[in-house]
This record gives sequence, structure tokens and C-alpha cells, in this order.
Amino acid sequence: MKKLYSNKLVILSLVLPGLLLFLFAILAPICLSVYYGFTDYSGMGTYNMIGFENYKTLLHDATFRIALRNSLYLAIGFVFIQHPLALITAAVLDKLGGRGENFFRCVYFIPNVISVAVIAYLWKFIYNPDFGLLNNLIKMFGGKGDINWFDSNTAIWAVLIVLIWHGFGWGMLIYYTGIKNIDPVLYEAAAIDGANQKTIFLRITLPLMKPVIQVNVTMAVISALKQMETVYLLTNGGPGNSTQFTANYLYQQAFKAFKYGYGNAIGVVFIIICLIATVVLNKIFEDRDEKAIKKLEKARRKGAVA
Amino acid sequence: MKKKIVSIMLAVAMVATMAAGCGSKESSSDGGASEDGKVTLKVFSNLPDRKNGQGLVEQTIIDEYMKENPDVDIKVEALDEEAYKTKFKAYSMEGMPDVVSIWGQPAFLDEVVDAGVLAELNQDDYADYTFVEGSLNGYTYDGKLYGLPRNTDVAVFYYNQKMFEENGWEVPETYDDLLALAGKINDAGVTPVAMDGGDGWPMAVYLSDLLYKVAGDGYADIISNAIETGDFSAPELEEATQLLKDAVDAGLFQNGYDSQDYGTAQNLFTNGQAAMYYMGSWDASMALNEDIPEDIRTNIRVFTMPVVKDGKGTATDIAAWNGGGYAVSANSEVKDEAIKFLNYMYQPDKLSKYGWENGVGMSAQDQTDYMTGEETELQMQIVDLVNNSTSLSGTPINDCGPSAFKTSIESEIQSVSNGTTSIEDFLSTIGASCK
Repeated sequence: MKKLYSNKLVILSLVLPGLLLFLFAILAPICLSVYYGFTDYSGMGTYNMIGFENYKTLLHDATFRIALRNSLYLAIGFVFIQHPLALITAAVLDKLGGRGENFFRCVYFIPNVISVAVIAYLWKFIYNPDFGLLNNLIKMFGGKGDINWFDSNTAIWAVLIVLIWHGFGWGMLIYYTGIKNIDPVLYEAAAIDGANQKTIFLRITLPLMKPVIQVNVTMAVISALKQMETVYLLTNGGPGNSTQFTANYLYQQAFKAFKYGYGNAIGVVFIIICLIATVVLNKIFEDRDEKAIKKLEKARRKGAVA
Repeated sequence: MKKKIVSIMLAVAMVATMAAGCGSKESSSDGGASEDGKVTLKVFSNLPDRKNGQGLVEQTIIDEYMKENPDVDIKVEALDEEAYKTKFKAYSMEGMPDVVSIWGQPAFLDEVVDAGVLAELNQDDYADYTFVEGSLNGYTYDGKLYGLPRNTDVAVFYYNQKMFEENGWEVPETYDDLLALAGKINDAGVTPVAMDGGDGWPMAVYLSDLLYKVAGDGYADIISNAIETGDFSAPELEEATQLLKDAVDAGLFQNGYDSQDYGTAQNLFTNGQAAMYYMGSWDASMALNEDIPEDIRTNIRVFTMPVVKDGKGTATDIAAWNGGGYAVSANSEVKDEAIKFLNYMYQPDKLSKYGWENGVGMSAQDQTDYMTGEETELQMQIVDLVNNSTSLSGTPINDCGPSAFKTSIESEIQSVSNGTTSIEDFLSTIGASCK
């Protein structure tokens, strides 16, 4: 066995598929994007190299700024509304036990199972000002019920609610799995020591869930930046550009406005932003103990040099 | 030892699947003449509904052609407009199907003709095809013809005649009448005009319609000047935009018009929740659509944009243009066969006749020979509109510039109509997209 794994050919054959996939499905397209980002390619015919022209335009592009702002709103909504709720729901579910636990776990996860297209149209009808569910509910309780939920000023909130609601089950399920993996012995010990539920949650569940939270939050932020399909189907960025998101804007520019080069420039900036977001998040979550050890090591090395 | 064998097998399997994934190129080129002498024509269409309206007409002709030419096999791929345009672009890079739907408007055709993906057609072939004068202009570049128009589209207000009569409402003569009428209709608890504002282009057509009424025969020059220079500050453009905004402020459109799509807007009208509906003449097939309640479907009538105060356009100067059509791919392996099929479709007794019989509105060819006497009143009204018109506007503003302009105006027009941006900002933003 050992011999097999030390055979370089075998190692290569095992690593190769993943490597090729990365090369051709991720790295090559990125390189092509960078290349096309420097051109005025329309997607058809010939093109010219125009240097940083696309990036200069992008700097002054008001719509791109709105799109980034909306992505930021969504990321904040995910991290500060969706995930705390998901984590608490997961903890409560864990305590529920029995049939109720399974039932609610399924119920909360249902939105994730339904296709995005269905979700988008479902909410389109809920929000419709003429025959929508929301306005009819308001009418039922005596209100006027003629609110235009997709008004330029409120549309972004209407969209954020849908997105936060839609991703809720997914986040919750991962937290739930994380909580289930915590050793029950710890809870027993805490109970013997007389800790109440709140202390148990804050002192045991939360710290032990840290790796899970880290993964979940990173994924949430990235998915906020990448948001496309729901918005595309729900409002397509409208009215005006009030609910524009980066990925949707990229698509519009590249494939509808025939500005393929510009679309690619947006894509490149977009990749850079995603990378920065990931690095920053990892820095934030870096273990304090780990940091302390690193510092110590650094100091020791310095000492050794001196 | 066993483990070792399993590992090796796994590795081999992995490499094998990868090799298989990369190596299936040779079977994908099935176009053109196959060995049994059968010619396969690929038709790429923007009419996914093959059972109603224009899609049915297209399919009927295709079926007939295959019957008359048993050695030709026609494969249709049909996608909705937006998906169609996206895939069209992909096809233009990797090879077009043989016969394709196109739009004879700069926003679409400029880039496509530049890329050289469409075959040049012989203009002399079409001398006897009774094309309406000027209808081939949008398809002609440097004197070369690249496609043929399918329809004459007219922008109209559809209205529910019965509802109008019952409430004592009258078809407005002037734009001010229309806005006053909006107030009355709103008071009756009905939406005045159902508008597909979510898509942007119907409102751009509405704006063009107003501009034509304001500027009269100066319409085309104002637009082409503005698009060429990127300067949209012409007073006529400003006035037309203001008139659009006035309509929104007067409550002419339904609540939330700027986020509702085509289907929703049409449903408002066909369910009787809206008294009018602003759309192109292609929706005249509503009168034949059995899904629409009979007392609504038989009572649909039309009027065109009423005149505006001090406007140069008269009531009979109407917003109409030749939009969609067909073309043949330049790199088609069966180009001759494709052109033969194209010409077959455009024989006056095909697209024009069938289109007429199916109530899809007016073709770009002379249709007077195909009147059956059983036309719906709606159809006759639209024919009269065109026949009695003193002039036609030509392409709506959003389709007059490059695609970047089209994308920009169709999104910005939502913001300016609902008051999020000012008229000056609107005009300068769409101007900037032309550069």
C-alpha cells in the first residue's frame, strides 16, 4: 500500500483530474477574462486592445456602485440577520428532539429544495400590488392594501427579504449538523455544574461551533457577492437599477449591451473583490490562540537572530 | 494486494472518464447533407409558442415545406426573445443555424452585420414579393440586403369597448383628454392602462410614440442626431419625456407598472382589471385567444396615441415600424437550400396570408388579397389605422442605437418615469451610453 502511494505516477493520476478541472474550468476562464477585459470586444467579430479603458469607465460607473452597495447590503443581511437566526433556530431544534425536530428541520429546508425560478415567481405574486398576497393580507386587516412593494426606494428591501428567507434553511442545516457533532458529555458536565441554557449556549455551543460559523459566514458573503439568479428572475435589477447586483450587471453588460470586454472587466474586479472578502474573513476568524502562538514564535525567532 | 488493484483500477477509471469527456467532438457536426441525400435545415426562431399566433404560422409553413420537399428535413430550435438573443450571440461565435430570426433595427443588426454572420440576399429576387415600401430599409446595409421583414408593427392602446360604453368614457382625442380620462377610470376603481413597464422597451415605444406626436416628421432626424452625437438635449426629447412622466403622475398606468412583466400587464387587461393596454399590434391575436373571456375578447378595440398640444404630428401620423424578420447564415453549409426556404416563406401566400388568417397583425407585404371577410373587428381596425395613416414613424428610439444604448434607455426609462431621476439626468445618461 505504502509503495503504491509513493509511486509518483499513481499520485499524479490521482491529483491530475482535480488539477485539470481547476486549470480548465477555473484558471483558464479567469485568464481569458483578464485578457478580454483589456479589449473592446463586442462578443462577435474583431476587437482592439484598449488597455485600462474599461477599468477607468468602471470607476465612474454609477450602476456598478449601486450593484456593489446592494451586494454589501445583502452580505450584511446574511451575516447579521440570517445567520444569527439560523444558528439560534438550529440550537432550539437540537433541544426540541423527537418528531418535532425532524419536522421543523424539513420545513425550514423546503425553500432550498424548490427551484429558484419557482421561488422568484412565487414572490413576484406575493408582492404584486394588484392581486398579491401581501396587499390582500393588509386589506383583510382593514388597510388600503395598494402598496407598491417594488417601488424604487423599497424594491431592494423586498428583494433582500426574499434572498435572506431563501438561504435561511441552508445555513440552518449546516449549523444544525455542527451542533449535533458537539460531544454531549460537555453538556452533561455543564448541567452538573449548574449552568443554565444561556450559559451553555454562549460558553459551549458557540465556541465549539466556530469553525462551522467561519465556513458558513464565508460562504454567505461570497454568495451575497455572487447573487444572480433570484434577482434576475425577480426584478432583473429594476426598477431602474435600484436592485442591480454585480453578477446581474455583468451579465447585462456582456450579453445584452454587447459589451463583452466591459463585462469581463467587471468580472475581473468582481474576482478581486471576492478574494479580498475571503482573505479578510479568514483574518477576522483567525484563532486568537493561534495568533498568540504565531506572535510568540516570531518573537523567539527575532530573539534567535539577535 | 487487493487494495492495490482497486486503487489502480480507480485511477484508470478516472483517467478514462476524463479522456471520454474530452474526446467526443467528431459526432457533433450533423448539419448539411447526410449520406441518404436528405438535407437538414436548422431554423433558429424567437417564437417558442408553436401552437398560437406567429409561432403557429411559422410552424405551418415549415410543415408544408417539408411535405412539398420530402428530401428536406427542418429542425426548429425556438427560444424566448431574451434567451434567443443570448444564444444568437453564442452561435455567432461557433457557427449559426441556417435560417435565423433577426430584427431589422440598428440595436440588433449593426453588430451582427459587422460580424459578417449573415448572408447577402439578392434584392432582385424579391421584386414580386409585394414588400411594403420602405420596409426593407432596416435590413439594408451599404445597399446590400441581409434579411426580410416579417411584420408591420403598430403601437396602439387596446381598450375594452364595453367597459368604455358602460361607464360613459370616450376615446381621447388629445393627450390631455387621455390623462383626464385616467382620473375618471381610476375613480371607478379600474386601472386605466396596463403597461409592461418591467421590461423597459414598451415604455421606450411609448416615449417614441409621444416623440413622433411632438416632433412629427423631424422624429427620425432628432433621434439619429442624438445617437450620433450623444447629445439628447433636443427640446422635443425633453418634452416627450415630460409627457411620459405626466402620464405616470396622472396615474395612467397600474400601480407598480415599473416592475411588472408582459404577461402580468396583459392579464390585467384581459381579466377586465384594466380598461386599456398599451402594446404593439401583434397582440391583436387576443381577439382570437379562447383563453380570454368572451365578453372581453370580442370587445377589444384600438386607438393610437392621441395628439399632444402644439405637436407637429397629427392623429394619423402613427408609430409603426417593421421589426422582426428572417435571415440566412453566411456560413451555412446548405446556403442555397436555406435561401430557397426563406423565399418560400415569403411567397405572399405564406407568411402574409397565414399571418393574416391567424390574426397576428400586419405583415410587411401587401395583404389586401387575403381578406376573408371574417376578420375580427380588431384586425380591421388596425388595417384601417395603417391604410388611413399619413405617415409611419419607423423604428422606436430604443432600437435606433447600439445595444449599449438600448440596455441603458430601457433601464433608465423606469427611473425617469417613476421620478427617481430627473429628466436632464435621464437624457444625459442615455446620451453617455452612445459614446
